[in-house]
Order: sequence, then structure tokens, then C-alpha cells
Amino acid sequence: MNRRRDFLKTSALGAGAMALAPSFNQLLAASAGTGAPKRFIFIRKSSGIRPAEIALPDFSDKDKALDEKKQALEVDLDKHELPKWLRGLDAHKEHMTILQGLSAKMSENVHYSFSSVMGCFKSNRNTLSAIKRATIDFELAKLFPSPFGHVELSFAGGRSGIVSGYSAPSQQTRNYCYADPDTARSELFKSVLNPEAVNSDNDMLSFLQGREGLKASGIKGHEKRRQEMQIESIHAIRERNKKLIKLSGSLARHLPELAPVHANGGANASTPEKQAAMTDVLIAALKAGLTNVVTYTIDDLGTPVTGLPGNETDRVGIHPLGHDEAFGGVPAWKTREQIRISHVNQIKTIVEKLKQAPEGNGNMFDNTMIMYFPENGETHHGIGLESPFLIMAGNNCNLDISGRYVRLPILGTEGHKTLGNFYTTLLNAHGNPMEHYGDLDLEMARKKLDQTGAIKQFMA
Amino acid sequence: MTRARLIAAVFTAILSTGITELAAAPDEKTTPAHAFRISEETDALLDNYCYTCHDEETQKGDIRLDNLGGLESSKRLDLLNRMQEQLYFQHMPPPKKKRQPSEEERKAILTFVSTELGLHGASTLEGKLQKPEFGNYLDHEKLFSGEYKDLPGFTDDRRWLISEYIFNAKFQRMLENNPKAKRNGKNVSVLGSSKIQNLSLTNPFLLPNVSGVRYYANEDLTGGHLSSMLTNAQKTAEHITDYLVKRNKKYLPAINEIMALEDEHHATLASRRQFLKTFIARLSDELYGNKNESLLPIFIPVELKAVKALAEGEKYKKAPFHVAQNMLKGLEGNSTVYQSLLDPQHEKKSDEEFRKLCELTWFYFGDHERKIQGRMTILRDYMPELREQLVKDNGRKIKPIVYKALDDSEMDVVRKSITKHRKKGDHYGEIIEKCIAEWEQGFEQERIAAGPPSDQLLSDLVNQLSVQILERSADTTEAAEYLALSKSYVTKLGKLKAIQKLIQTFILSSEFSYRQEFGTGEADEDGRRMLSSRDASYAIAYALTDQSPDEELVKAVESGKLKTREDYKREVLRILKKRDTIYLIDPILADKNYRDNTTDTAIRKLRFVREFFGYPAALTIFKDEKRFGGDRLGNATSRLLNETDRLVEHILENDQDVLEELLTTEKFFVYHDGDNERMQAASDRIKSIYARFKDLDWKNFKQEDLLDHSEFLRKVKMRSVDPDKLEARNRQGNTIQLFKKSMETITARLDKGQQEAAPFDLYRGYGNDFMPGYNISKFFNFRMNNWDYQTIQPAKVAHRKGLLTHPAWLIAHAQNTETDPVHRGKWIREKLLAGTIPNIPITVDAVIPEDHNRTLRDRLASATEASYCWKCHESMNPLGYVFESYDDFGRFRVEESLEYPDKLITKSSDKGTLLTDTRDVYKTLPVNSTGYLKGTGNDSLDGELKDALDLAERLGKSRRVRQSIIRHAFRYFMGRNEFLSDSKTLIEAEQAYAANGGSFDAVILSLLTSDSFIYRKAIAN
Repeated sequence: MNRRRDFLKTSALGAGAMALAPSFNQLLAASAGTGAPKRFIFIRKSSGIRPAEIALPDFSDKDKALDEKKQALEVDLDKHELPKWLRGLDAHKEHMTILQGLSAKMSENVHYSFSSVMGCFKSNRNTLSAIKRATIDFELAKLFPSPFGHVELSFAGGRSGIVSGYSAPSQQTRNYCYADPDTARSELFKSVLNPEAVNSDNDMLSFLQGREGLKASGIKGHEKRRQEMQIESIHAIRERNKKLIKLSGSLARHLPELAPVHANGGANASTPEKQAAMTDVLIAALKAGLTNVVTYTIDDLGTPVTGLPGNETDRVGIHPLGHDEAFGGVPAWKTREQIRISHVNQIKTIVEKLKQAPEGNGNMFDNTMIMYFPENGETHHGIGLESPFLIMAGNNCNLDISGRYVRLPILGTEGHKTLGNFYTTLLNAHGNPMEHYGDLDLEMARKKLDQTGAIKQFMA
Repeated sequence: MTRARLIAAVFTAILSTGITELAAAPDEKTTPAHAFRISEETDALLDNYCYTCHDEETQKGDIRLDNLGGLESSKRLDLLNRMQEQLYFQHMPPPKKKRQPSEEERKAILTFVSTELGLHGASTLEGKLQKPEFGNYLDHEKLFSGEYKDLPGFTDDRRWLISEYIFNAKFQRMLENNPKAKRNGKNVSVLGSSKIQNLSLTNPFLLPNVSGVRYYANEDLTGGHLSSMLTNAQKTAEHITDYLVKRNKKYLPAINEIMALEDEHHATLASRRQFLKTFIARLSDELYGNKNESLLPIFIPVELKAVKALAEGEKYKKAPFHVAQNMLKGLEGNSTVYQSLLDPQHEKKSDEEFRKLCELTWFYFGDHERKIQGRMTILRDYMPELREQLVKDNGRKIKPIVYKALDDSEMDVVRKSITKHRKKGDHYGEIIEKCIAEWEQGFEQERIAAGPPSDQLLSDLVNQLSVQILERSADTTEAAEYLALSKSYVTKLGKLKAIQKLIQTFILSSEFSYRQEFGTGEADEDGRRMLSSRDASYAIAYALTDQSPDEELVKAVESGKLKTREDYKREVLRILKKRDTIYLIDPILADKNYRDNTTDTAIRKLRFVREFFGYPAALTIFKDEKRFGGDRLGNATSRLLNETDRLVEHILENDQDVLEELLTTEKFFVYHDGDNERMQAASDRIKSIYARFKDLDWKNFKQEDLLDHSEFLRKVKMRSVDPDKLEARNRQGNTIQLFKKSMETITARLDKGQQEAAPFDLYRGYGNDFMPGYNISKFFNFRMNNWDYQTIQPAKVAHRKGLLTHPAWLIAHAQNTETDPVHRGKWIREKLLAGTIPNIPITVDAVIPEDHNRTLRDRLASATEASYCWKCHESMNPLGYVFESYDDFGRFRVEESLEYPDKLITKSSDKGTLLTDTRDVYKTLPVNSTGYLKGTGNDSLDGELKDALDLAERLGKSRRVRQSIIRHAFRYFMGRNEFLSDSKTLIEAEQAYAANGGSFDAVILSLLTSDSFIYRKAIAN
């Protein structure tokens, strides 16, 4: 394992580089990558995942009791049935982990967590100044650079276009995201679809480079070096644009096709159509090597939902559903289940399509981790006591977790693990030896219980 | 200053050997292939002082120095850099070693090391010495000794990267943003908000989160900044062209002129589209009469999913109407529904007929089937509610749309176009799109015929952008270059995109991100030149505020009145006295919706104290409400910070013995907005309620009993107790319940002989009836049920003396659940005593051991008082220990709670009330808050310390403390560490302070009119 000192010393992304904007960092680091990269897909859902919903329906009495009492438990999934809504993934149980018992009290709960569920801090209702650090997805993206570095997709709020996202490249910064499949496709594959747009910055950059160059000619010492750095920075961005244009040939092979209903934001596309199209773009971006890390907010409380089984002609709201308020004669719990099933369908598609894509001696899924989790904890009004995770990880996963249902001890007890511990595990297992990621839990601190570092049992 | 001279100046301070000959070290022309060689003299010195511990056999710390020649170049340079630092900071040989090199010998070794590093351009020391954390390495005594006061002061010609605050101010000014905050209960316009309209800009110039001076001139503009600025520039450009210039015709008028034809066309198209969208059915009836219907497509109704019967026992809760109404709005169906309901001709229609009417309307318009399905489902399930909503609204919000034709000429165009394009079976929407397409094409031809914007217009634009963004006119060469660029943009991108690109280009210029500070004119005999007037105006403005120069400063530059020291003095004094500008103190507090957060003092004067003491970090220490003893800790901490600011503002405003007052004041603000009259009135109101009811049996009042006090209740306005609305209730209860809840808290604040009533909420509800953050009392050990509130503040608070005993400072320098004697001590050593503490060795695992039977001090002592650790910790711990009489929330204590489950005595409820404390009770041990002060340079002050108050008292009397703060003020206002050549500046600043009764304004004035500030020297290679 890397030592922290060595990491900081050797990494181009050490402390001094933390404040740099993501795309630039990753661009600079992109050439350093060797071998098959690891890929991470974070799928955020709203309105909680109730721990009982994701518990195995055929637990033995003893295991059921442990699970209900929130005590440590570990069982093999291949000996059990999955909950109904997860059965779409039956064929992939060996790559599945159901992880229960992580707490998320150091992030924001109730209705929304905004950036905090992936950053382990309180988000103060989504204010920029409250963003304490780069979110976990950006931390991982630094470890596995790519031309786009990190891609965020989102159906939050039923928006379209390029809008504010939830991930954070560094403290007090907010990422942008693609809010509909058509925009995501156009932007990610811009160098194929609209190479002129990629070039459009070049006149400006060239002009700036020339002007800054003139300024450099009259100065000396450190000021001169400063000016040269400025010119180099402009040059690097121009180079990135050139690189993207060059890539366009290989990108074209992966260009996803979208149905006309998705044009101009896809206002009339149904939820399953939107999800499927966004999933196609996501997979294409991974296959084309545009990114290794994707954060996908598959819904939030403001996402309109339509076209699910039972509500084919309705438009339903996730917020009222969370309050058990129903639409079209279908009880709320049924619609909530259909929403989860629609999510699982996307996960299934990603898993299967990546399994079909050869890479090295195996396939792309071998090097991929998908994490599906609630943004706000365990219920519609989450309190962060629990934050269940569904994880799908390929054969080369750096964590020893697959094929198991794992329940960790509940918050405030010996051996309990927080989201911070889990994210630390991800980082440590992939080359960042950070001691602990995120804020600490105050109840654990109050009780003087150990709560820092990786989850050792998951370290392969 | 050259690197060599920098080394020379600083080495002088340490070594007291005069200017060394190190200038010979770096020579850029020297070949890198130079062969490494140690002279016999140097080798003998190393043998004498270094090899004993660092030869092949011992290799202490894995370091070996006797084979430097055998190492490969990069490893040797790395080791030499480490040697240079250790020698320079006098860490090696270790001070405890009896055998130390003489100053001459140390200089000789250093010269050897520096020369070798210089030959390879590999020295890292100079860069480090410019960092804030190395500021104190310049010998304090020498700096103030007067020995160097004849050295001419100056600062290098430089550019200084803007700060996060200047970034906000620049965008706020550039985009004419007008944020509001509260001051004395009123909404006021402020400068300094981080919210720039609706733009979500990324601030790439964030300052480090440390206490002390945060903003230095040694940061460079990097690719990271540029990358963020690219996005910022893009968003800003769109905001300007799409919003600002349309809202304000005087804003960058060239844009509106260039875009005049486009704007006119867009307005015409928008007007036609809106008209048709609303009235095309009516217009078509007019145009086609009875034939209209036959031209429409054949109606195909949508199918809705049938509602299934619920399974037995299944419950179903229909979503409330407001949800459905929002859905209908999201589906863009509400207008048709309500307009149709308002239309008298449809008044008698049944629900079924009405639904059909709406569906036909949508179908004929050509709306998407799914949209119609969604709307029809809502009409199916919520028809009665929709009708009821219309009745409830009673014409307040939902109004009928009255037909209004366009101008005759426009109507002609529209009619012609419809008749030209309409085909049988067309939906209305399709007809509209065909018309619009034709018009757009025509307009485009018109614009092509009109040609590109004239050179004059583009030149106007260039100049306006230069003034708006760079705050100066473009010079002739620049103007020509930008004009050529603009023309090329227009050709390639069209007018709008070209304008946006031009705006981006200006914003991305390095001039936007750097402050310029260059000398101009004739150099004096020391090679110094005065700042150019324009640069001086910015240097003064940015020293005191985050804003660009104000009108007076600009005028002074234009009229040649910013060229002498007297001119500087006039402007600095003017800005210090100015009170007509209100600044937001802390954008983070504003983000937390804490709006009473303003000052009319020059913001950077107040911010110096904030950052020097570092108390704003209290907001970032994540604390536990349970341990705090009550809820709404966030509000309480925000208020705590705000009231610390108020105290500092109060001390700065008095401007007498400022530094001593900051360190020793016994008067504080606690739950007070600075307005004594308002606070007295609030207390009087509560006292009057108490007086009215205290002798009555209010606990057994019935609701109607309140009517006997109607007039009184109307007058005092008890929260949620309105005698005219006795039946009202909220989530906390009905009127009589809320009255009793309020009376309980009113009684508690006055029934123990208290003279005044603390004006916190009468009962704990949602929102606040007076001021948020009442739980601030808990930080100061005031119990909510027995608080002898002071209406006149600042007022004396027991067990407190100065900012170091203020809970904000104590929390900011504490851990999440424990105090932090080490960091508190370190802060005092470095910030107040001008001392140095080496970085924690990488090999040290800094953990305080757990022990359920010992205090934190005891546990810390066991970990740090071993001799290896104590050599550093003795400079910190004895200073930090005195604050053990406060817990990690800054509460005074004489006993320390042992917060372990096995020490729990009483478990309290996790949910508190307004008056109760939720803290669990644990076994305790007595606190030992004694300590030791060493390093003031004054024997009468150094010595054993009784507690924190004793320390504060002594620090307040220490001249060294005063000088140390002035050194930090120098760094803050100059943006760099001090050198010996700044000796005169510092001595004069201290003299100014003393001569003016302890005026901090005098210190600022002295610094900003000093040679160090006014004079600049060109950088040599």
C-alpha cells in the first residue's frame, strides 16, 4: 500500500493541486495513465432506501433477528433470494454486495443532501461555502485520469441542458452536470458532432497567449516565470482541445443514437425512455474512454416520473410518493417500488453491456464498480442512521466485498462504520492512502469509539 | 529583490554578520555539468559539527553527509536543500549540543551549500522564506532594535493575485449587483457578497483556512485558476448579453446598438408567437369562418390507464390538490384549464364536457399525446378541486385573458402568413411553426443585407468592455488588436457569440486576476521608484477594502494628487474615516442566512483582527448539539461569530489602546445587536407581560380569560397570542397553550430577582420572533432559566478577559469534542510572542492517549512531556494549558467532565426545551489551568500563570506582543513577510500606535505611508 507521504510527494494531485479545476488537472495527468483504468459509477437516488426493503426476504430466523436488531451480519447472496425489486440482477449476484449499516449523519439528511452525501459534510442547504472538500467521485477521478476527468449526469428537478450538479471538484466549488440525454450526448461527443464548437475557443486562447507573451517580454525574475506559467496554462487548454479533436475518430465508433423524443431536452420522453437513453450515453462515454468516473443522479424529489408500470399515463411526483400520497389509483409504495425497479434496470443494462465489452483478458465490467445509494439516508425523511448501498463490482475489484449481504454494527456501537469509512476504503484501495475522508461522526466521537480509516474487512 | 539579496537580507538577521557574500551563488550561465567538490575547509567543518551523527556508521534520521560526492545529482541537491534549511533555521546542530559552530563557521557551511544549490538553480529556501509560516524566522529583536532603521524600505515590483473577496467585489461591480443585508434591523445595500445575481460562479482564489495572515502576494495564476475562469467568463458573458443589457439600456450600450436589429426581430417574433399561441383558434375562426373546423385534423382522444380496484386491505391516499396543480402547471395545462373554466360560455358544462373541451383544445394545438394524457389524468382525478380553486381565488391571481389584436400591420403579416402556410389537417402549433420559420428567414436576410457592425461600433464595444472589466480605457495598440479580434469573431461566430467571446477574452486577461504594483518615474539613489498613481490607488483601495478605487481616489489619480506621501496620507485617512459604505463582513454567515452581518468600518481593518485571531473558524468546527446542551447550535455559533465581530468593531471604533483592549477587555456582547435602546425596549416588553400576569393564576387560564386582557395583549403582541384570533393554532399548540408556554419562559427569566429579561423567543417555534441564536447564552454559562440579562452592552462577563477567552476563539482553536492546548499554545507563541515552532516531525504519531480516569491535560502531558517532544512542546503546552478552564465550547469550568460511558451519572433527554439543558452528566475531575509564560522579553511578565485571565493580563502589557501584532499587520497590508529593510517601517508603526493613544488607525496609516508600501524596486534577473 502507498504511504501517505509518498503519495503526496509523487502525486501530481497532492495537496497543492487540490484547488485546481478538475478538467485541467485530469488533462495534465491523463498521459500518465497505464493499463486498464478502474471505473466508478455513483448512482444517487432520492427518498431513501428503507433498510427493510433491501434486506433479504429469506433470511434464517437468526439472521433476520440480527438484521432487525442492526447487529453485524454477513451472508452469501448466492444462497438467498433477492428482494423482488432487485431480481433483475439475479444473474449477477456474484458481483453484487448489499451493504447495510453505514451511517451518514455527518452529511445532510431529511429531504436532500445535495453535495454532502458524497463529501461527508453538512451542506447548509446547498450553499457553496459549505462545500468543505472534493466529493469522493472527484477524488477517485484524480486517481484515474481521463479526457473529461469526471462526468455528472442528472435528472434532478426535471431540468434539461447544462446545469449545476451536486459533485464538487474541490472545496467551495460546484460541478456542472448534463441534465438530459441529448445534452449529455452533444457535449460528451462534441468533437464528433460539432468540431467547430471545440475549436471556437482557440481563437480566443491564441489571442490571449499572444498578448500575455508580449507582456512577458518586458519583465524579469519571478514575474517573468509567473507570466510564462500563465502562457503555459493557456497553451495546455489549447492542447486539450486539440486532443479532443484528434480523438473524434475513435469517439465516432461509440456515438450513441437517441430517439427523436429526446431532442431539445426531451420534454415528452417517459421516465423509462429518459433513463435508458441516459444509460446509453453513460455506457458510451465509458467505452469511448472519455471518463472513468460518472455520477448519475437518477432522480431527486423534484424529478417528474411518468410511464412506469401502473402509472403509464400519469405524471407522478417523488416527494408526494414519499409521503405516501399516490396518483392514478396506484398506492404509493407500489409506485416507489416501480421507481426502484426502473433504477435496477439501468444498473442491469450497465453491467451487461460492460460485460460484453472486452478489455484486457476480460471485460470492462471487471474494472468497474457501480454504487447505488440514497442521497439522504434510510427513508423519505432520512436521518442518516443508515444509508444502504447496493454495489455491483467486477472481478478485478480492489475491495473484497462481492457476493455478500453485509450488515455492519449500528451507529454508536463498536465496529460501526460511516460513509466516511467507506469512502476512505475506496480511496485507500485505489492508491490514495488518505487517513480518513470526510467529517467525523459526533456520536462516535462522543462515545470515544474508533471511527477513522478504511473498513479493514473490505480491503482485499 | 534578487534571490541572492533576499537570502542576504534574511541571513543577516539570523547570523548578524552583515551582508554575506552569498550573492555569488546563483549564476544562470554556469554549466549544469559542474562537478561537485567540497573544499578541505568545508569538509573539516562538516567533520567537526555534522559527521558525528551523520556518517556511515550512525546515520541519524537516515541521513548521511560524509558521501555527498557519491550521490547522484538529484539526491544530493535534495539533501543539500535540507541541510540549508536546518542550518539556516539553526535547527542543526541541535541546540542542546554543546559544540556549536561560530557564526563565521555556520556562514561558511551555508555559503558552500547555497553556492552548490545556486549553481543548479535548485535552492528551495527562498521560496519558503516568502511563505507566511516562515515570517517569524526573521529575528524580532534585530527588527525593532533600530540597528537597521537606515536601510531603505521598499517592496519589489510585483503583481498580486486577487483574493476571494476581490473576486467577489470585481464581479459585483462589473455586473452591477446590488446585494442586501441587514443593519440595525433595516435592509441595506452592501458590498462584499459572494452571491452574484443568479450566476453560480466558481471562485478560484479562495484563501487558505488558517488563522493569521491569509492573503499573500506569492501565489501564482495557474491552469486551475484559468480553467475555472474560463467557465466563469462564459457564464458572465451570457449573463451580460442575455440579461443585463436588456434590463439596463445604459449598461454597455454598444451591445444593444450592435444587436439592435436582432433584438427588434426577436421582439417581433416573440410578440407574434405569443399572440398566436393564445389566440390562433379565434383568429382562424375569423379567417376561415365555418370552414375552420373542417381544416383541423380529425380528433383522436388519448387513452388513459384504467384505475384498478385496490386489493383488499390496501390503503390509498390521494395526492393533495396542490401537488396535482403543480403537476398541471409543469405539464403546461393550467392556463387552458382555468381560462376555459373562466369562460362564461363553458359555465354550464359538465365535468365530462369540460374535459372534452380541454382535450380538443390541446389536440387541435398539436400538443404531445403524453402531455395530454398527463393533463387528462389530473382532470379525471381533480375536477372538483380545480373548480373549487377558481372560486377560492376569486379573481385574485387567476384572471381571464382578454383578446388584444396586434397592430394592424402586424395583424396583416400574421393573417397573410397563416393563409399562405395552412394545410388541411394541420394542428395549430404546426401552422405557427411554419409562420415563424418564414419570418425568421426573412429577418435573417434583412440582417445579412444590413452587414456586419461598423468598426466604430466594435471599437466602442472594445472600449466599453475595457472600462467595465479592466477599469481603464484601452490604449491605441490594444484597441486596434481587440478590434481586429472582434471582427474575426463576428465573421466566424455571428454578432451575439462574438460579443460573448470578446467579453470572455477581457475577463481571461491576466490583468483581471492580478493587481498591478509597479514603480514609475525616476529611481532614487537606492534604485527605488514610487508606485505609479494608478497602481497606488489600487494598492490603497485594496489595502483597506476589497473594492476598486472609489471616486475620490480615481479623481486623485486623474488630477495628479496621488504622488506624495501626504497624498497617500490624505486618502488613507479619508477611507478610514468613511462611514457611508456598508460591507458584508462574512459571506459564509450570509450563506447561513445570518443577515445582520455588516460593518461600515473599512472592511479589511476589521478583517485583519478576524483573520489574525482566526475566530471565524468556530463556524467550521463541527459540534454536537447534545454536548452543547441545546438545539439550534448553528444559529448560536453564527451569532457568536457575529457578536465577536461586533465587539471587535466596537474596539476599533473607539480606537484607543486597541491591541490591549482586544487582549484584555472584560466587556462582551451576548445576544445583543448593538442597539441598546432596542434591547431595552425588548426587555421592557417582556417585563410588562410578566408584571401583568405574575400575580394571576395564569397557569389555569382558559382561552376566554385572555379576552380580559385584550387591549394589553394587542399592545405587547405576544407571539401567536392574538386576542382577536383566539381560535388560531400552529404546530406548537393553540392560543392558550402558547400563552402558557410563553408565560413559563417569561417567568423563568424574571422570577429570580433578575433586573432585565433576556429577549429570546417567548416559546420555541419555527422562525424567530426577535433574534436568532439565543442559545449563545450557553457558551457564556448563562442559564436560560436564570439569565441576568444586560440590556446595555458590551457588558462585563464573569471569567472572561479579552478575545482569547471569548468562546469564538476558544472553539476555533479546539477539536470537535475536546480542547486543544497544543494549538492554542502554538497560536500564542507564533502570533503574539513572535516565536517559531518547527513543523511536527513526520515520524511523530500525534495522538493523545485515552484514559477514562485522567483529564485531557494529564493525558496530553504524558504524551508530550518526554524530552524528545518537550523541546518543542514546552513552547506551547504551558501557554495552552491555562485555557483548560474553558471546555471545547468555550464554557468556563472548574471541573472537567469525563465523557465516557462508564463515567455517566445522569442521562438527560436528547430533546430539550427552551429552558432545559440536554447535556448528560458525567463524573468529573478538577481542572488545572496553571501555566507558564516565557518569551515576552520582560522578566516582570514572564513566569508562572494562574489561569487564562492572568495570561491575558500579562500579554496585554507586553511590548513584544504589541510588536508581534504589528508585524502581522505589516504582512497583512503588504502581502509579504518583513525584511530587515522594513525595520524602519515597523518601528515607526509602533511609535505611531503609542503616540496616538493606542490607535490602530495610526498603525495602518503609518504602514500605508511607509517606504515599504510606497516604494518599489524593479526585479532583476
